[in-house]
Amino acid sequence: MSKLKTSKFGLGLAAGVMALGLSTAGIAGGFNGIGANITEKAVDPWDISVFYDGTNLPKGSGTVEAGQQPYDAKCAMCHGAFGEGAEGYPKMAGDPMPAFIQSLKQGLDGVGNRGVNNAWGHAPTLFDMIKRHMPFYAPGTMGVDESYAVTCYVLNLGGIVDMDFTCSNETLADVDMPAREYYVTDTRPDVDNKRCMSDCYDEKPKVVGAAVTGVSE
Amino acid sequence: MSETTLDQTPQSDAREGVASSDRRKFLRKSVALAASGAAAAAAGNAYAGDVKLETVTDPLKPGATRNILGRGVVSVPYGMPSKFEKHVVRRNVSWLTADTVASISFTPWQDLNGIITPNGLHFERHHAGAVDVDPETHRLVIHGMVDKPMIFTMEDLKRMPSHTAIHFLECPANGAMEWRGVQMDSMQFTHGMMACSEWTGVKLTDLMEYVGVDPKSTWLYAEGTDGSALQRSIPMEGAKDQFGEPLPADSCEMYKDAMIAYAQNGEALRPENGYPIRFLLPGCEANMSIKWLRRIKFVDKPLVTYQETRHYIEPLPDGTIRQFSLVNETNSVINYPCPDNQMKGKGAYEIRGIAWSGRGKIAHVDVSVDGGKNWKEAELVEPVMSKCVTKFKLPFEWNGDEHLIMSRATDETGYVQPTLMQLRNVRGTNSIYHKNSIQAWKIEKTGEVKNVQIENF
Repeated sequence: MSKLKTSKFGLGLAAGVMALGLSTAGIAGGFNGIGANITEKAVDPWDISVFYDGTNLPKGSGTVEAGQQPYDAKCAMCHGAFGEGAEGYPKMAGDPMPAFIQSLKQGLDGVGNRGVNNAWGHAPTLFDMIKRHMPFYAPGTMGVDESYAVTCYVLNLGGIVDMDFTCSNETLADVDMPAREYYVTDTRPDVDNKRCMSDCYDEKPKVVGAAVTGVSE
Repeated sequence: MSETTLDQTPQSDAREGVASSDRRKFLRKSVALAASGAAAAAAGNAYAGDVKLETVTDPLKPGATRNILGRGVVSVPYGMPSKFEKHVVRRNVSWLTADTVASISFTPWQDLNGIITPNGLHFERHHAGAVDVDPETHRLVIHGMVDKPMIFTMEDLKRMPSHTAIHFLECPANGAMEWRGVQMDSMQFTHGMMACSEWTGVKLTDLMEYVGVDPKSTWLYAEGTDGSALQRSIPMEGAKDQFGEPLPADSCEMYKDAMIAYAQNGEALRPENGYPIRFLLPGCEANMSIKWLRRIKFVDKPLVTYQETRHYIEPLPDGTIRQFSLVNETNSVINYPCPDNQMKGKGAYEIRGIAWSGRGKIAHVDVSVDGGKNWKEAELVEPVMSKCVTKFKLPFEWNGDEHLIMSRATDETGYVQPTLMQLRNVRGTNSIYHKNSIQAWKIEKTGEVKNVQIENF
């Protein structure tokens, strides 16, 4: 083999010779030997996901009263002292459900009015969101009991629980969220346009325009 | 074709050797517009009849680049677009969100000419900002209802059989600002929450086989490692919502096209798009394609996360709140002409646009130039692929009249893109998401192109 090195064909021949000694049995491919097994116990610290029905809520509790201080300190600057929202940040307490539904039926803008009292189906989700993602500028830094307390305070701002309520892994799933019964699963397609090709309309199109200009910074 | 000298194409003038005073006036105007006066020798020289030679480059004269040396190789180790293309960038709308770290930027489709979005122009949607995740220490865990809970390094994922496909990703809020009326003066903002890339990674179904997913698992959820630790529930066959109602059959099939992606258009994902790995769920609202993916868990019920009860829901005029509306239905838009690409004089044009469907391939795109009364089928540009942007084109001769131009896509399921009024009749104006209605642009006599809506059908 070493003599062939000077030949311009040397490399190809050498590779050919070496290949003779190799097995072709491995061509099957697949996943064998890739990755490592892990126990559910080892994953536990990662598994912070709480289901709508309270499954996987961590052990702990917090009262409405205990939630006031952390809410005022960490949350109120964006969500408002009374949950009214501020400068584009979400409200905690929107219109009560009947008024919210009425605004939808009347075609009024209900979007800015979403809060825990009209657009959250399940209280454990609120805990999950706060524990996972809040406060906004330092996400995921609140403790379990603190998160229960803030959850409780926000539920109280929305008029959902009384002042003396304690939020915990035992109580949260049973909190009666006003919006729960209004959720319906996707039923689309909900429109049925036809592929008309000519003389599709008799009427002249009524055109509205006036786009905002200068929005592109 | 048209009435006056000004409307003639340059070629026809050249052929006839016409150099009337009207023609000269037009030429001077063109020169000023196109080359800021630099080539203003214009009318009267040897090429008087040929606009192209005068306004672009005179090959017989030294130009700015002719007698100098250009840049050497690797002077720009990672190549960037020409300095003359600086306007082709992602943009955001400052009043739309309170902070750019929980916000969205828009892809400039008005300046793109293919089906692939360059990586630096892929729209961004962050809930707690883009983060830099170290691939050396990052891990993906797959657990829950599986035989073997497993943990993978990024190198592990690259050893596995790979899967490559071209798919669009679309935020379900694409077009949301237009539900209640015309608002944005740019196609970038009416349709830019969508981008299309070639993705490479590991197919979810392959991984499912490897870890041995329990057939009784009807949902999985994916979670990211950014500050929001964003998580979404993804349905599989037999998936039911929290009240026991089944999800639409098509939603439950979507996971079969899903992958754990590590490459985008041949290179590593960009940080803004989930580096080093992201979940990719073609056809569904892009919020489900979790970036900076760290964990997948197989379960038998949905989480009903914040994203599924507060955010990506559609309050409807009948007083119900629609949830798990996951599929991005057929959509299309004309990107040439559009408000960003106005008419530049009478004569020949090619109407061009893009169409996409979360349910499969685009079957037809029809174009109307009279506000929807009459339609003509456009040519689809190959390749036409499932859950992928498809280009369409149709020749158009503009004689200076007003037109309402619009495109209407039909996908392979037979679903026809609806009008805005059809959507509003069913969903009202508060549903925010999944606005896939036919977009109309108005061509004014001046050549301006405006965003408009048609309110009676």
